Amino acid sequence: MANEPVDVLIIGAGASGAAIAWSLLETRMRILCLEQGAHLSDQDFPSRREDYELARYAEFSCDPNVRQLKQDYPINSQDSCITPVNWNGVGGSTINFLGHWPRMKPSDFRTRTLDGVGEDWPVDYHTLAPFYDINDQNTGVSGLGGNPGYPEYTPPLPPIPIGKLGQTLAKGFNEMGWHWWPSDVSILSQDRDGRQKCVNAGTCDLGCAAGAKGGTNFTYWPMLESAGVELRTECRVREIQVDENTGFAKGVLYHGPDGQLHEQKAELVVVACNGVGTPRLLLNSSSKLFPDGLANRSGMVGKNLMFHPLTGVVGVFDEPMKGHEGPMACSILSQEFYESDPSRGFVRGYGLHSGRSTTPMTYALGGYGIDNPIPWGAEHREIMDNVYPYLAGLTVVSEDLPEEHNRVTLDPELTDSDGIPAPKITYRLGENTRKMLKHGEERATELLLAAGARRILGKSDDKVWWRAGWHQMGTCRMGDNPETSVVNGWGRSHDVKNLFIVDGSIFVTAGAVNPTSTIQALALYIGDSIKTNIETLFD
Amino acid sequence: MENWTGRERTQLDAILDQLIPANRDRNIPAAGELGIADFLTAEANQNSDLCAAVSALLAKAAKLEGGTSPDVVRQLEAALPREFKKLLIATYKGYYSRPDMRACFGVGEHPVHPEGYGVPPEPPEVIAELTAPVRARGPFYRDPAR
Repeated sequence: MANEPVDVLIIGAGASGAAIAWSLLETRMRILCLEQGAHLSDQDFPSRREDYELARYAEFSCDPNVRQLKQDYPINSQDSCITPVNWNGVGGSTINFLGHWPRMKPSDFRTRTLDGVGEDWPVDYHTLAPFYDINDQNTGVSGLGGNPGYPEYTPPLPPIPIGKLGQTLAKGFNEMGWHWWPSDVSILSQDRDGRQKCVNAGTCDLGCAAGAKGGTNFTYWPMLESAGVELRTECRVREIQVDENTGFAKGVLYHGPDGQLHEQKAELVVVACNGVGTPRLLLNSSSKLFPDGLANRSGMVGKNLMFHPLTGVVGVFDEPMKGHEGPMACSILSQEFYESDPSRGFVRGYGLHSGRSTTPMTYALGGYGIDNPIPWGAEHREIMDNVYPYLAGLTVVSEDLPEEHNRVTLDPELTDSDGIPAPKITYRLGENTRKMLKHGEERATELLLAAGARRILGKSDDKVWWRAGWHQMGTCRMGDNPETSVVNGWGRSHDVKNLFIVDGSIFVTAGAVNPTSTIQALALYIGDSIKTNIETLFD
Repeated sequence: MENWTGRERTQLDAILDQLIPANRDRNIPAAGELGIADFLTAEANQNSDLCAAVSALLAKAAKLEGGTSPDVVRQLEAALPREFKKLLIATYKGYYSRPDMRACFGVGEHPVHPEGYGVPPEPPEVIAELTAPVRARGPFYRDPAR
């Protein structure tokens, strides 16, 4: 079944797909977005239910292998110590992300030059800075200007409360003489554009029913749909098709909500399916011209997968920390150990993130993203009564380095409900990352004690968090050299001149910060580059 | 649909009381006396793995001597660790999904939207004072462009 051709076809309605659609609005091109999931309605948000925590382990799990909803695709993570997590629907993973919004730092774009690892990006911080600013305005970012950890910028809204927990840890950082700053967050500290300010529900992962969190379902999509961008939901793209004569992308085949296969032609195809979904789609789009997967003459599609491996340290304090009150992941952030220091025995660095703690069920089951229930019996009683309310912790968020053996491939047997081959993750922690995480655990312990913790809860193993695969990067990386990268410095495929990639897969290195603000700034930059180069776009 | 006999249900309640014991000083009930077996029954009707795990544990428990003491429950855990973990997880879910139990740990009984929690923003002077030592260090990043 064929549809009327469009000018721009965007695959994926998440962070990057929405941002580039907004950037291209002014071209007056006909824009269509295909999204495999649906719009969430108000009653779909579990935070309005009394038993809201149960949803975290069922239909609102961050793990698609747990949710197993129709729009989800399974992911084989058996050969990985981290499993990818996501959301499939309008808003993509901004539906269930935690809204932490730090920018990457200038050095992140020049790791080869500065530290001899990874590769330099074909863009730099200062090129992206105006796009970070635009995106912060569109999203409604809260934070405190003047952070000495960055070139000067000021978020549009004042910071959200850091709370008792944040204040306690901040004093500890000051005691140690270490950097910290209130977190930038894509969470409203004031009502804005019809969205309600944060009510400190503490369940950002269950979707924000108030609209305070900057999911693109609340930020970009209302603007886009009222401006005439067509959003076709419950439409899963099976493959991108290529004209064998021209070598250009001519459109896609997708499964519609009617279960039928449809054809959609387009002049320009934009892929925005994240660092796992995008290589999966390209590898599933092989043809005579591209037998190893679309846009994969370099052989780099799916390689260099990077996450942000996480570990955490928790302290027990004398007073209740009220850690369940306030945005889950965002209170304060220290970048004291972010930049390289040869004396530490590893290159690059990590952030110390003070999230808050969590609700009783999640704590009893091992913590967010962890399947390791706390002890039963008398010990259980002791932990829940005398430990849980008094907790404050730090998460060590490490920079992953690009390594070709960490990759996304196609599983030979596993498929989604439409029979499309599923992704397989092959990933192991690098030695540099292990050293970094150990260093981070030791510093976090020192900090918690300086902040007044009476006891540090020991960790029984050296494993990283299993469901830490929020940030999926590097699998279709940018670069000037077509032999070592998939897209050029403004997101255009080296091999297919009307194919663009705008999600986290194009990251060259990972930094040690949550990537969504950079993903969207890049998407806006790519949109701007398309407009700037419109006369010679396909040359 | 009830999955277990009356005798098994009594035994299940006793096991649940061991998994999450009461705190009498704070009027916090144990899991069995709170009726978490009802939650498990409902879950087991939707989840055959859980149903089989609990049934296997109850069958094993019936063969053990010593009532339902912590030692007996520890023997169950050692004998059927996979099944025991399923029961433990389901018990924690049932117990802590109860709004009244959440409240015992300082967390609101209410659905978190729309009410949320009142967390007052720190006055700007408090934040200024807290961040003053950080500002005093000056720029704290590497910028290859500068």
